[in-house]
Amino acid sequence: MKKKILVILGLTLTTILFSGHAKAEIKVTDVLGRERVLAAPAQRVLLGFYFEDFLAITGSGAYERVVGISKGAWHNWRNSQWKAYSAVIPRIDKLADIGGTDNASFNLELAISLRPDVALLAAWQFKALGETVNRLEAAGIPVVVVDYNAQTVPTHVKSTLVIGKVMGSEQRAQTLADEYKAAVDDVTARIAKAGGATKRVYVELGNKGAGEYGNSYGKGYMWGGVINLAGGKNIADGKIERTGPLNPEYVLSENPELILIPGSYWVKNDKAVLMGFGVDIKETKARLATYLGRPGWSGLDAVKSRHVLALYHGGARTLYDYAFLQYLAKALYPEAFKDVDPQENHRRFYERYLPIKAQGSFMTRID
Amino acid sequence: MVTSRLIIEGYRAAQWQRIMALCCGFGMVLVAILSDIAIGPSFLPLSDVWSVLTRPGAYQGSQMLVIVWDIRLPMTLTAVVVGASLAVAGVEMQTILRNPLASPYTLGISAAAGFGAAVAILFGISLPFIGWASVPLMAFISALSASLGVWAIGRARGVSPNVLVLAGIAMLFLFQSLQSLIQYMASPEILQEIVFWLFGSLLKANWTSFMVSGAIFVAVLPFLIRDTWKLTALGMGDENARSLGLPVERLRLRMLVLISLLTAGAVSFVGTIGFIGLVAPHIARGLVGEDQRYLIPLSAFCGIFIMVCASILSKIISPGAMIPIGIVTAVIGVPFLFLLILRNKGGLT
Repeated sequence: MKKKILVILGLTLTTILFSGHAKAEIKVTDVLGRERVLAAPAQRVLLGFYFEDFLAITGSGAYERVVGISKGAWHNWRNSQWKAYSAVIPRIDKLADIGGTDNASFNLELAISLRPDVALLAAWQFKALGETVNRLEAAGIPVVVVDYNAQTVPTHVKSTLVIGKVMGSEQRAQTLADEYKAAVDDVTARIAKAGGATKRVYVELGNKGAGEYGNSYGKGYMWGGVINLAGGKNIADGKIERTGPLNPEYVLSENPELILIPGSYWVKNDKAVLMGFGVDIKETKARLATYLGRPGWSGLDAVKSRHVLALYHGGARTLYDYAFLQYLAKALYPEAFKDVDPQENHRRFYERYLPIKAQGSFMTRID
Repeated sequence: MVTSRLIIEGYRAAQWQRIMALCCGFGMVLVAILSDIAIGPSFLPLSDVWSVLTRPGAYQGSQMLVIVWDIRLPMTLTAVVVGASLAVAGVEMQTILRNPLASPYTLGISAAAGFGAAVAILFGISLPFIGWASVPLMAFISALSASLGVWAIGRARGVSPNVLVLAGIAMLFLFQSLQSLIQYMASPEILQEIVFWLFGSLLKANWTSFMVSGAIFVAVLPFLIRDTWKLTALGMGDENARSLGLPVERLRLRMLVLISLLTAGAVSFVGTIGFIGLVAPHIARGLVGEDQRYLIPLSAFCGIFIMVCASILSKIISPGAMIPIGIVTAVIGVPFLFLLILRNKGGLT
């Protein structure tokens, strides 16, 4: 009997001891449902992607707590954004480059030698790294996965809360997640209330210029998903799985009522639709106007009604992408979004959560 | 007396067969071309397509005119020129190397073209005045320099087929790895563009591309026609050709330059389209033999036929989308090649 009591006592004690210890730890379940434990909010982060969202969630001093990044994904892919941020946070230019995680150039040795507390990776990076993830974790570096590329409200919310938990900025993360969810829900509600016929939308990435038809996006994939959310009928639905070009003849015969050309900072291309930080909106409009000269486009409903839009390609897959969603939805349902100012919302997001101003060309349309 | 008459009759019968093969080939090509122009995702009625084709003036400002004249015709005609160029380049490559496995790709010409295009896309090279031609021109320059490299090595080491093939394979690997390096350096959007170029797609076809590629083909043709007898003799082997007094090495070099021109002209605009240069000559050879007077035109017809059928197939598989034609050509070409392999019990030579 005595023995039994002792055992129970011992068990209770250990439970109390361990639970007390566990309180100091941070348990995170990432977007893939993997549970990882951190000793404390991370002070040495290995950051793979979502550099802006990370900064917005963590707040000022975020990059003081980063030891290494996948530089190419920022410096090369979003060059205008990189320039804008490195001007106000010089440290990001000096961070160690752990290499691309997408093409086997990932520098495992460097990553481990930086002694990070955690590696925050995008889902696509996690997939690309494969077995290497296990080697990182074997070296004592928990790998936490987030995903804004999925472009859905639940994954955006989840990713935001995960980053907040890892960085110890849960409150800020909750605010951002709530705002995001509220904004998208509002768009959905307004569209449902507006009713009416859904308009046919054609989206084509503006990286090739008007001379050649570029890639379009299929159902639910990136811009395809944004179009569906904004209550438009994507003419590429059922024609293209993810990305790929449509037959020019098919575009003409479908006669879209709205055309969306995402642009970005492809400086080395003199035909592409230029957008991003530091880009003059006049230049975006001039490039966009060249698309109207394509054979047969003058007869399209979208061109006749001047519904040809350009949105910043780097703006999708972010915490503020609801502003782009609003811009598109407003073009489709002008009455329902009369009191919504997407450009102002975009500007305000930067003002409130980011250290730079949203100066440049992010959303526009032909006059 | 009797035997020589038999030989003459036999020769005439064979010639007659070859002429028939040519006529059949021409007929099939014509049907394929017309079908390609008639088929498209907007499902225009056949009668409308025909009247827009024959009387474009009456349809000024209509969408049908745009669809038929600005979208369908340039694509079809570019397919014709590309198919013919690659097939003829393939025939001559196989002839001068006396190797049935040769094609314009053997000497790294197309890999070089792909590298040139990738460089132009990645670094955004844009030429003054002719910005539209920047990518094709870079592809062209790169392709030509690759074949000149092979040519230089061949010259230094005597222009034997083995040396040429070996130098060509080295060139192929060099440019393939350079291509990979460029892809490695590119951002996703740029990478997409490069990969798409490497697939080969008729989306890049327009009247200009047709004119330029077509002009190259037409310019090269007389030089080939002039040398048909010599090429036929070369097909019998170097020793035989030499004993007939042919300057074998000079002939080989001349052909090499012409092949580069044809290949570069074909792939510069639409990207690398594989397989036609290999399979079209084999089909033609199976039908008319080694006589270049028939082999060259029939190869061209086979090349056009495969290319245009690939275009039709890509439109039928997924109406609306554009499947890169470079992917479809192999799907069409492979069954033909299998059939040939199975039929020719003696092996392909």
